[in-house]
Amino acid sequence: MKTETTSKILDLGTKVLRITGWAALMALIVWTVVPPPVPPTAHKRIPVHVWHMWSGEWLPVIENVADEFNKSQDKYEVIPLEIPPGDGDQKFLLSVSGGNPPDVMVQWTQAIDTYAQSGILQPMDTMMTPAEKHHFLYDDYPAVHNNGWYKTHLYGLTVGFDVYACYYRPNEWRSAGLDPDHFPSSFEALTEESKKLNQYDAAGNLTRLGFFPQAFTNYAPAFGGGFYDPQTGRILLDTPQNLNALNYVVGDYKNIGIDKLLRFKAGMQSDDAASWPFIQGQLAVTVDGEWRVLQMAQYAPTMDYRVAPLPPAAGGKPLSSFSVADFLTIPAGAKEKEGAWEFIKFWSGLDHPEPAAKFQAKFCWLPTSPQMAQAPDYQAFLKKYPQFRTFVKLAASPNVVNIPPVPYQMFLNDRILVAGDLAERGAKSPEQALKSLEAEAAREQARRKGLGYDQ
Amino acid sequence: MKKQFVGYAFISPWLIGFIIFTAFPFLSSVYLSFTRYNIVQNPVWVGLANYRTLFSGDPIFWHSLNATLIFAVAAVPLGVIAGVGLALLLNSNVGGIGVYRTIFFLPSIVPVVAGSIVFLSVLNPNIGLVNRLLKAGFGVTGPNWLQDPTWAVVTLVMLSLWGVGGSMVIYLAGLKDIPAHLYEAARIDGANAFQRLRHITLPMLTPVIFFNLVMGLIGVFQYFTQAYVFQQAMVNQGGAPDSIHFYALYLFERAWRYMDMGYASAMGWVLFLVIMGITGILFAGQKKWVHYEN
Repeated sequence: MKTETTSKILDLGTKVLRITGWAALMALIVWTVVPPPVPPTAHKRIPVHVWHMWSGEWLPVIENVADEFNKSQDKYEVIPLEIPPGDGDQKFLLSVSGGNPPDVMVQWTQAIDTYAQSGILQPMDTMMTPAEKHHFLYDDYPAVHNNGWYKTHLYGLTVGFDVYACYYRPNEWRSAGLDPDHFPSSFEALTEESKKLNQYDAAGNLTRLGFFPQAFTNYAPAFGGGFYDPQTGRILLDTPQNLNALNYVVGDYKNIGIDKLLRFKAGMQSDDAASWPFIQGQLAVTVDGEWRVLQMAQYAPTMDYRVAPLPPAAGGKPLSSFSVADFLTIPAGAKEKEGAWEFIKFWSGLDHPEPAAKFQAKFCWLPTSPQMAQAPDYQAFLKKYPQFRTFVKLAASPNVVNIPPVPYQMFLNDRILVAGDLAERGAKSPEQALKSLEAEAAREQARRKGLGYDQ
Repeated sequence: MKKQFVGYAFISPWLIGFIIFTAFPFLSSVYLSFTRYNIVQNPVWVGLANYRTLFSGDPIFWHSLNATLIFAVAAVPLGVIAGVGLALLLNSNVGGIGVYRTIFFLPSIVPVVAGSIVFLSVLNPNIGLVNRLLKAGFGVTGPNWLQDPTWAVVTLVMLSLWGVGGSMVIYLAGLKDIPAHLYEAARIDGANAFQRLRHITLPMLTPVIFFNLVMGLIGVFQYFTQAYVFQQAMVNQGGAPDSIHFYALYLFERAWRYMDMGYASAMGWVLFLVIMGITGILFAGQKKWVHYEN
C-alpha cells in the first residue's frame, strides 16, 4: 500500500516536472521569437542615431544637445550612443563595413580625408543651402571653414576645435622676480625669462619646470611654420620655419638635459583633469588647450592663473596655434541622412549660431563664428571664465595650423611626431629628422600612387 | 560511417566556428595581401605591389622587424633560462613548495594590461619604487627605464620574464616526468648534483625546452599588448621610444589607423614566413640537442 502511494506521488512529480519543463521551453521559444513590445510614444518620430565618444563630465553635455534638439521639433528623435574612444574608430569602420553605420558620427580622429577617399562619408556642402554655404565660407572662422575638406567637397563639419596657449600663475612669476602683467612678447624672451621659474631639489633634479617644451607641432606655428599650404595644396615638412621650431625644442632639451627632462616628464602626474601637472605645480608655464579652463574651475577653483597666446619667434606669426578638430560627419550608408543633417545644423549653429552658442559654452568649446562669440550665452560664459578670451582670439586667427588634409594624414601625423621625438632624444639632428620625414612622406605618396590611389 | 557522422556532429560547433572565424580569414588574408583594401571598399588587385613596397620602400617595416628581432634575441633565451631555473628550484622537496609554486605562477594569470600598468608605475624613473629603492639602498640613480631606447627594451624583457610562470609549470611537469632510476643510477656511479643536472636533467628536459622555445619565438614575434600599453601610457611623457615600435604594433597601425588592410595582410604573411623560417631552422637543428626517450 505504502509502495503504491509512493509510486503515485513519484508519477505525479514526474508529470509536474515534465509539464513545467515543456512550459519553460515554450516560454523560451516565445521569448526568443516574438519581438519585445515597443513602448508607446506620444509622437512616433524618425530615429537619428548619433555615435560619440564622450564620457564623464562631457556625457551630460552631449546628452543635453540631443535633448534640446528633440524638444525643438517633432519629426526626428536623436538617440545618442557613447562608444569607447579606445576602439571607437574600429567600431565605426566595422559598422560601415557591415552596412549599418550610425546616422551621425562625431569624429575625433583626424582622418576625414582618409575616410572621404574611401567613400565612407557623405559630402555635406551639397546639402547646404546657398545661405548656409555663405555663412560657412565667409562667417565661420578659418579654422572651421578650412577644415574637413577632401578635394572639392566638405565631409566633416568642425563643431569643436582645440587651440593652444600659455597657462601661467602670476604669484609664481612674482616670486621669481618676473612681471606677470607683462607677458613676454617674443618666444625668445619667454624662453629666457621662464628659466627663472625652474626649480630643483637638493640633488639637482627638476621639481618645477619654467617653460615646458612640448611636441614641436605646438611650436612650429609660432615660428611661422606649419605642415600644409592650403593655397597650393603642398605638404610642408622640411622647411626653414619648421627647422627653426625643431631646433628650438631640441636646444631646450639640451639646455635642461635630455635625461633630466625625460625623467621629469615621466615623473609628472597623469595629464588628466585634477592631476594636470600645471595644477600640481610641476609646470610654471605650459602650452595647453582651452578645455583646461573648465577643468581649472572644477579642480582648482581658487587658483589664480592667466592665459596668454604663445608669442611669435623672430620671423613667426602672432596669434598662431596648432589645432585639431572634432567633426560632425554623416556616413555614406546612413539610413537617415536628412535627419542627420538637421541635427548637425542644429548643433553647429549653421542656420542659427546664437542658440547653438549655449552648447559651445557648456562644452567649454570655442565659438565657430563671430556671431556665436557675440551671442548672449557665450558672452555670459566668457564673463564667468575670462581666461577663455585668449582662446577666442586665437580661434579667430588666420594663423591656426591643422594636420595636412591628405588621405594619409594619420600616417603623416604619426611620422611628424616621431621625427620630433627622434630629434628631441638626440637620435637624429633636427636637419636629419626633417629630411627623413620628407623622405617618408614622399615614399608614402609613391606607395599610394603605386596602389592606384590618386593621392 | 554513422559513428563518424555522429562524431563530426558533436564537434560541428567548433568546426563551424573554426572554418568561419579562423580558416576563412586566414586564407582570405592571402588574397588580401595582393590587394589594396581599406575594410570598407571592395579589394582591388594590385599584384605584388604591397610586397615590393615592404622589401624596397618602407624603412619603418625594417625598423620594426629589427626592433622585434632584438627583443626576441633578448627575451626568448632569458625566458627559457628563467623558466628552467625556476622550475628546478620549485622542484625541490621543501615544506610549503605548493605556496611558492603558486606565487611564481600567479603573475602569468594577471591580465597583461594590468601587469603592464604596474610595471609602468614601479619603473617610473622619477617616482617609481625601483629607482627609489636603488637610490635609498645603494645611492644609485636608476636608469630611465621607460624613456631610454635601450632601457625600454630591457623593461619589456623584464615584463615578459615576470610572466614566465606559464612556461615554468610546463618545465616542472617535464622535470617530474624524468624517471627516478636515472638519478639513482647516476648517484651509484658517483655523479654530483651538477653532473646530474648537466647529464640527466637538462638532456631529459630538452623536448620541453624545445617546445617552449618554439612557442616563445612565435609569441615574441607577435608581441603587441604590452608595447601598445606602453605606447599609449607615454603619449603625454614625450612618447614611447622608437626601439619598442615592434612589428605587430606597426601592423596594427597599418590595418586600423591608416586603413591599409591589404598592406597589413602582406605584413602578416611576411611575419608568418619569418616565424615559419625560424621554426624550421629550430626543427632542423633540434636533432643535435633535443633528446627523446624513444
